[in-house]
Amino acid sequence: MRKSAIVKIFAWSAFLIISSAAWAAGDPVAGEKKTTMCIGCHGIDGYRTAYPKVYNVPKLGGQHNEYLINALQAYKTGARNHPSMKAIAATLSVQDIEDLSAYYATSSSK
Amino acid sequence: MKKFIISVVTSALILISGQGIAADIEAGKKKAIEVCAACHGPDGNSLAPAFPKLAGQHATYIENTLNGYKSGDRKNLIMNGLAANLSKEDIQNLALYFSRQSGLSTKK
Repeated sequence: MRKSAIVKIFAWSAFLIISSAAWAAGDPVAGEKKTTMCIGCHGIDGYRTAYPKVYNVPKLGGQHNEYLINALQAYKTGARNHPSMKAIAATLSVQDIEDLSAYYATSSSK
Repeated sequence: MKKFIISVVTSALILISGQGIAADIEAGKKKAIEVCAACHGPDGNSLAPAFPKLAGQHATYIENTLNGYKSGDRKNLIMNGLAANLSKEDIQNLALYFSRQSGLSTKK
């Protein structure tokens, strides 16, 4: 009896932790404070990459939250392989990725 | 005669350079509606959250991305198949068309 109650409590806690992690939405306010590594390129109008090819870095303001999360996760796992984006995404936690995505997805303040 | 030759050479140069540079926005629009609109929206403001908005994106970024899908450098089942059927001109025209629509912006 004791044992089964403990097992139940464990099972519920595990369930709650997993589900809260899965549902944790990004916080755009927290995201805005995490943009120091982004703004050097994505915050400058018309900024161009220097390596490995030269083209304008993408505009992010107003992009879909889900797409931005997918993109950062793909850089983190290596599925997408731009050198500087891979290096930066590797330092981001899941929460960082969700916060940053939420921040850039909110329609732009210009 | 000398003047004639100079004018022929000059017009030939203008024609060649003009073709080399100018992407065709109308051709881009036509292609966009045929190939891209179902997912990305006719003007690049997609409604489905998994498909990125293209409206207002930099032309050079769109061009680089499509070239990456075409060559296989960037992998996506849907986009690799679609980009394989685009010519170099199609890609330049699409990039110009979407870059001129109103949508994305640089967030500072």
